[in-house]
Amino acid sequence: MQVTMTVNGTEHTREIEGRMLLVHFLRDVLGLTGTHWGCDTSNCGVCVVWLDGEPVKSCTVLAAMAGGHEVRTVEGLAEGAELDPIQEGFRQCHGLQCGFCTPGMLMTCRALLDRNPDPTEGEIREAISGQICRCTGYSSIVRSVQWTAAHEAAAAATKEEAVAP
Amino acid sequence: MDLHTVTEVISPARPGQWRPGDAWLGGGTALLGEPRPHVTRLLDLAAAGWPPITVRDDGVEIAATCTIAELADRLGRHPIVLQCCHAFLASFKIWNVATVGGNLCAALPAGPMISLSAALDGTCVLVGPDGGERRVPAAGFVTGEGTTVLRDGEFLRAIHLPSGPLGARTAYRRGSLHRHGRSAVLLIGRADPDGGMSLTVTAATRRPHVFRFLSPPSAAEVEAALETIPISGYVDDVHGRPVWRQHLTRHHARRIRAELAV
Ligand SMILES: Cc1cc2nc3c(=O)[nH]c(=O)nc-3n(C[C@H](O)[C@H](O)[C@H](O)COP(=O)(O)OP(=O)(O)OC[C@H]3O[C@@H](n4cnc5c(N)ncnc54)[C@H](O)[C@@H]3O)c2cc1C
Ligand code: FES
Ligand code: FES
Repeated sequence: MQVTMTVNGTEHTREIEGRMLLVHFLRDVLGLTGTHWGCDTSNCGVCVVWLDGEPVKSCTVLAAMAGGHEVRTVEGLAEGAELDPIQEGFRQCHGLQCGFCTPGMLMTCRALLDRNPDPTEGEIREAISGQICRCTGYSSIVRSVQWTAAHEAAAAATKEEAVAP
Repeated sequence: MDLHTVTEVISPARPGQWRPGDAWLGGGTALLGEPRPHVTRLLDLAAAGWPPITVRDDGVEIAATCTIAELADRLGRHPIVLQCCHAFLASFKIWNVATVGGNLCAALPAGPMISLSAALDGTCVLVGPDGGERRVPAAGFVTGEGTTVLRDGEFLRAIHLPSGPLGARTAYRRGSLHRHGRSAVLLIGRADPDGGMSLTVTAATRRPHVFRFLSPPSAAEVEAALETIPISGYVDDVHGRPVWRQHLTRHHARRIRAELAV
């Protein structure tokens, strides 16, 4: 079957088998291997991408179900050479060790901060439930999100000052 | 999970397309979560584009394809709706995809949408292969662990919740082996303006049990009602033994009765 979807702003049309999962479409057909593939049963969260702006686990979504929709993957976070603040936060606070869980964590944490720019530790931990870090680096991941939230708040305040009369 | 035996996905699906080996596809969170060697085609209902929630004079109609996230967002002002959404123990990544209809049709004892629709006198709207509709009480939709009244080729189109029960006072109790564990028992009591009360037992039992009382029941009346559930009617799995589930059911029923009595 033919499927057309927009991934990170670019429209792609491909002939695929109907049963193909979104995670395999992204990795094997489009070559976007930033999205990882782990448990295959919707539990570990390494495969999280955004579908029309909402995080979903791409190992239990068919590529066909994403047809006509907008997908954003970890490759779509940075703008050129400039990292998204959440990526920078993970870099600053050692939010990754082996990096296997990182793409899913980044997509989930970016979505969290977009809807709640000042989350509590509890809210961060709740948001990353369903995301497993096998290196168990949860404390640094929480710190990375807190760093990003603080950094984005400071950046927004500076911007406001700059436009104030 | 890649379902290797699937040769075709029909999207969007329509009545009459089902044939043996087909599975209706909601959000796919249960269907694509484990091997299904008998499934050869997927009939995608989520692509049908049904409006998730339709408000009517006599209540609300929840499309089978309404996601848990949409339900919480649109009807979460009703405490019992939000409580049942939270009894769906999955992160928002799953809530964004899993559907209310898929939860009923998967017919897991811990299906909180089963609890919700049974407790609020919901009606399931089923569509047959010829496009004809039949309606069944939500309390009777699930017949056992993993089984429903759906016939071959039939799908769940919507769940209608009447406005009276949706606006009624409710009391909710859930128990599990761990705070974030799968529900081993989920009870909902409902006090109606006419003085009646209902008690819905789910998760502990293989299918929902709804007990109706014309006036606030005594403790003995509640006990007697629960006695009608045989011990073989309680679920026996890693999330709890039948005797423990029965004990918790009685305990929570007493609490609910007391809560609704004041
Ligand atoms: C991390 C995690 C946590 C979970 N927690 C819970 C939980 O707490 N409680 C619980 O009950 N489940 C839970 N589940 C299982 C599952 O996600 C839910 O039951 C979910 O609601 C299923 O909905 P779906 O739309 O994804 O269904 P699908 O996976 O699409 O379908 C489920 C079944 O129903 C059939 N079906 C779907 N829609 C229809 C329809 N409209 N008409 C006829 N048949 C249909 C399908 O053919 C399939 O047999 C969990 C899953 C995960 C991954
Ligand atoms: S690979 Fe998707 S949740 Fe684990
Ligand atoms: S950094 Fe290794 S799995 Fe999380």
